[in-house]
Amino acid sequence: MSDDGSNGQLTGGRKEETTGMSSLLKGEEEATGTDSLLKRRALLRAAAWGGGVVGLGGLSGLGLSRFTRRTPQAAAAKPPLGADFTYDVSRFQTSDPALLRYEETARFASGLERARAIAVAADGTIFVGGAGGLRKFSPTGEGLLNIPLEQAVVSVALRPSGEILVGQPGKITVLDANGAGVAVWSGLPAGLLPTAMAVAGDKVYVADAGNRVVQVLDATGKPVGVIGARDPARNLKGFVVPSPYFCVRMAPDGLLRVTNPGEHQIEAFTLEGDLELAWGRGSFAVEGFCGCCNPVSFDMFPDGSFVTCEKGLPRVKLYNSTGEFTGLVAGPEAFPEYLQAANAGTPDSLGSGIYAAIDPQGRILILDSVGGSIRIMQRKPQAHD
Amino acid sequence: MTDESSNASGERRRPAGSVRHPAEHSAANEPPPSGQTLAAAQVTGQGLSRRDWLKGGARGVGLLGFGAAAGFLGTRESKAATRWQIDPNQCIQCGRCATACVLEVSAVKCVHSFSMCGYCKLCTGYFEPEPINLDEGAENQLCPTGALQRKFIEDPYYEYSINKDLCVGCGKCVKGCNMFGNGSLYLQVSHDRCVNCNICAIARECPAQAFRQVPVTKPYLLRGKGAAGK
Repeated sequence: MSDDGSNGQLTGGRKEETTGMSSLLKGEEEATGTDSLLKRRALLRAAAWGGGVVGLGGLSGLGLSRFTRRTPQAAAAKPPLGADFTYDVSRFQTSDPALLRYEETARFASGLERARAIAVAADGTIFVGGAGGLRKFSPTGEGLLNIPLEQAVVSVALRPSGEILVGQPGKITVLDANGAGVAVWSGLPAGLLPTAMAVAGDKVYVADAGNRVVQVLDATGKPVGVIGARDPARNLKGFVVPSPYFCVRMAPDGLLRVTNPGEHQIEAFTLEGDLELAWGRGSFAVEGFCGCCNPVSFDMFPDGSFVTCEKGLPRVKLYNSTGEFTGLVAGPEAFPEYLQAANAGTPDSLGSGIYAAIDPQGRILILDSVGGSIRIMQRKPQAHD
Repeated sequence: MTDESSNASGERRRPAGSVRHPAEHSAANEPPPSGQTLAAAQVTGQGLSRRDWLKGGARGVGLLGFGAAAGFLGTRESKAATRWQIDPNQCIQCGRCATACVLEVSAVKCVHSFSMCGYCKLCTGYFEPEPINLDEGAENQLCPTGALQRKFIEDPYYEYSINKDLCVGCGKCVKGCNMFGNGSLYLQVSHDRCVNCNICAIARECPAQAFRQVPVTKPYLLRGKGAAGK
């Protein structure tokens, strides 16, 4: 018994011992859990304190940095600039109304960005080219055709057959009367910038502002000659074309008329390339061509007189066949958007201009690339040159 | 003698400054004071030794210093990474560049893009609108300080350059060039003179918001062949 009891006690003692051990283990587990929780809390609190201290340090560093920065203190000390430091051409931006020979009778939007090409067909339809492509309008301004083109159009000319020649940087595209592609003349001289084109017989004369010459092309677009290249033996000084404005037209007298904008002149050449005559002078006065390089474009009446366009001071003017100033079509005040851009000095006016074309009715169509419109100008009934 | 002693009820007393292990709370069915943790106990002073205090203090000072250095250098670094510059496509040549700069003579100067220039005989940036003659006479020159200079190249071409020591950054020649020419003359902040103020005094007055901060690695906003992508 005793053994049993001992055993029993022993057993019971072992049980108690076992129970005690398990409770101890349990206690240790609990203790370990609590310890971990407390450690985590301690860690978080320490991190919060650390972060706070670092943040405080950062703020003080920021403050120190601001304190040591340079600040504009002497800004208000200088007096404003005087008139000597101000560019002022306002006296040239208005014109004498007595010089106006034309009046605006209609206006419509070109619908093109930076439109700078205009041509009128024999039936009076109007073609306008710009950054978005080419558009055709009726003589009263209704849209007839829209030909989107990827590359900007810088010039347009019409063949008697109705084909449309579209000048783009580096190439000339030939379209039929409905705007469908016929050919692309791409084998042209490197650097070609065809800012104007004139068709005469089976030749196309291209004012190439990139190379500062008139390229002569045959009916298929093959280069067959050059007019106006510098050649002292022929007394040719070459065209001075400081910016992409260079114009050519076939005159009723059978001579080519070409602008020499850097010399402020319009020059006459035979089809063989001989210089016959030139007229024009640089001046801000209304009789002359203003700025560094004008006129930017022109067109001719059947009597050989001219309508010229200038940039900088946007003016459309009339000259007789010998180059005498005869009046204004539109003065600078007629182009408020252009003047605003020019006066602000922003580059909106750079690369922009005023272009003109004469239609079969004798009306002058003015393309204003900044204002984005085409104006129809008709001669005033009482106007005298 | 041990370092622990017992009280009358048999509970052991701790020496001052010692910390009870959390497990002991559990073992003695004595929960720790509400919200109090080991770290809290350490900082309440119940059991904070001088060594702990010094250690904690040094750590705090170190962190504070680190933060201050980071804050100071961080802002210095970001400042040094940019420079003030004029966007020539926004500039309206109002003349404030000449008067608003903190320097006695403005850090803004006219620069010239030769690749855009037409080398014109009649340069509208160089000549008065109606010059008496197309020559270098002072009465014909547009620039009131004579900073724009002209050199004959070949008939009819001339080269124009800017004497930066004379240029005050008024933008008069820029206006003439932009209005009639190609826009090859334009204004830029000259970084050999600019002190790179945190808030540029000219930028603050610029009515066209033409001033902006550009990366120090590309501190000029150029036109012509030097321009981005050209």
